[in-house]
Amino acid sequence: MQEFLQNWIYLIASVSLIGVGLYIVLTKENIFKIIVGLNIIESGTNLFMVAIGWHPNAVMPIYTATDHLVANGKVIAADPLPQSLVLTAIVIGLGTTALALTIGIKIFEKYGTLDVRKIKEAEE
Amino acid sequence: MSIFNNAALLIGVPLLFAFSIPLFGLISKQLTKWVTLFVIGFNATFSLYILLAHKYPAVVVMGNWVPPFGENLYIGPVAAFLVSVISIIGLLIAIYNLWAIKLGDVTRFSVLFLMFTAGASGIVLTGDIFNLFIFMEITGISSYALAAYGPRRRALGGAFKFLVVSSIGSTLYLLGVTLIYTQLGTLNIAEIAARINQTTPGLLTFAGILLISGLAVEAELFPFNGWVPDTYTGAVSGVSASLSGIAAISGVYALFRIAMTVLGRDGAYVFTYGKLDLMTVIAILATTTVIIGELSALSQKNVKKMLAYSSMAQMGLVAVGFSIGSKLGVYGGIFQLVNHSIAKSMLFLIIGVLAAAGLGEKVENFRGLWRRSPFLSLAFTIGAFSMLGFPLFAGFWSKFAIVGASIQRGGWYDFVIGLVLFASIVEAFYYLRIVTYIFSSTEVKAPKIKVSLSPAIPIFVLAVAIIAIGVYPNFIGNFSMQSAGEFTHKMTGYVLNVIPTIVAH
Repeated sequence: MQEFLQNWIYLIASVSLIGVGLYIVLTKENIFKIIVGLNIIESGTNLFMVAIGWHPNAVMPIYTATDHLVANGKVIAADPLPQSLVLTAIVIGLGTTALALTIGIKIFEKYGTLDVRKIKEAEE
Repeated sequence: MSIFNNAALLIGVPLLFAFSIPLFGLISKQLTKWVTLFVIGFNATFSLYILLAHKYPAVVVMGNWVPPFGENLYIGPVAAFLVSVISIIGLLIAIYNLWAIKLGDVTRFSVLFLMFTAGASGIVLTGDIFNLFIFMEITGISSYALAAYGPRRRALGGAFKFLVVSSIGSTLYLLGVTLIYTQLGTLNIAEIAARINQTTPGLLTFAGILLISGLAVEAELFPFNGWVPDTYTGAVSGVSASLSGIAAISGVYALFRIAMTVLGRDGAYVFTYGKLDLMTVIAILATTTVIIGELSALSQKNVKKMLAYSSMAQMGLVAVGFSIGSKLGVYGGIFQLVNHSIAKSMLFLIIGVLAAAGLGEKVENFRGLWRRSPFLSLAFTIGAFSMLGFPLFAGFWSKFAIVGASIQRGGWYDFVIGLVLFASIVEAFYYLRIVTYIFSSTEVKAPKIKVSLSPAIPIFVLAVAIIAIGVYPNFIGNFSMQSAGEFTHKMTGYVLNVIPTIVAH
């Protein structure tokens, strides 16, 4: 059980986060909640990316920090590349969220509501 | 592998000037628009030089790390051709913007427009599957902000819808990239393409579905294109023109670079690896897109919304052409893509000029336009004829090629003949309805519309381009044919040009 959790908990958590986020984006009518849902999807993806580069017994991938990078002919260092990709993805997520919130504020100024259905009614 | 590092300027110069434009804005707001014009003009000249002096195929190597180790740009026939189209259309829209963008924050509009063209060129040039994601986000974020620009409040709703759909799409794409990385441990498109057969078929299918659904958002395919009508209708006309003329090109390119080069297998017709043939899936989605787009366009009273739905349908036709998978089909697809960009961006610019003259967006408002502005009426008619594929106009040759490719392939692809004809008939119905209104002979009291020089130049150039391609299709056709070869022969066309020593598995 412990081994199963060690191996799968992060992948399961990230996929459930993506599911929760998609559910929120698809069902909620409030613009702010939709933005929160987008953020949850992004967190799920980021967690997924970190999780695939990680192993329960892995060490940090710095050659001089340890002499156990290779054990039994297998590299046991964590893969550093997904972490750098996640860093980029987090920054992009920040930009998208900031822009989404700005548009949300503008919508509230112009329509006086954040409810998607009321905005649609006001348009027609 | 020949190295041509200067081509990195195609992305570097617009990005550099995009972030230094606020400095020019301190001097004068008018100056920022001219800076945008000159920077995109540089891009257009340089990419035309690469295309006409035949500098491709070449690789841009960053920091002397040869692929597959470093990040690289690849300039093949496709990239050289599409970057030229993107920057020329961008240049014409920048000329139009000199006149159109007066209100609001002109400086930031220029920043966003430069970022937008830089991102779109980057998508087409890059040889790295994660850099593709980054350029998608650069294009995406700047186009959400551009779509929200303008005095009208309905722009905000369209921009927000676009933002939500598109960022979910790019997240799905990122998941797909990650899944492929777990299998192969590389992000270089050429290396992934050569080794794609080493992946687990089930996981590859899942990754492929994620990648395709993420990229289909920008390529305007059916279940992912709900944003199109609202965004195109809400945005100011210059932005709608750049979305349909520039973003659509890079979106379709990215979709089929992944579907055909990365996931595809060589052969007379391209299929994809994995348990499911994704090219067939794309063909079905694209067919649905054409039918839904055309029928929705038919029922619209608002001309701008009608153009948005028509844009959706045309992108569906482009995707159908690509998904046939043969050289002729891809040729038709690329040709149709370029023709659509030219004609649709011209139509949107005309709508922009008319809106500034106080003409509404309803179909009835076009009644008697011929007497008010013969120039705009003729240009609109030329664009409409090209859209519906009238002979001796640009659109005819590309639709003809798509029909020819479907006959060549046979099987259930014969259906495509019916589809193209159906699309042309429905398009003829709703475009000619407007053309009839334009030339109807009722007396109009309203004064003549004066078109100033800066919007007249792009409209004139695009209209002449449509006629020129229609009369002499070989010039664009040759480039499209070379590009088609790069898509259908992935090893000789793409992979071996980037990594000469690699062996396909």
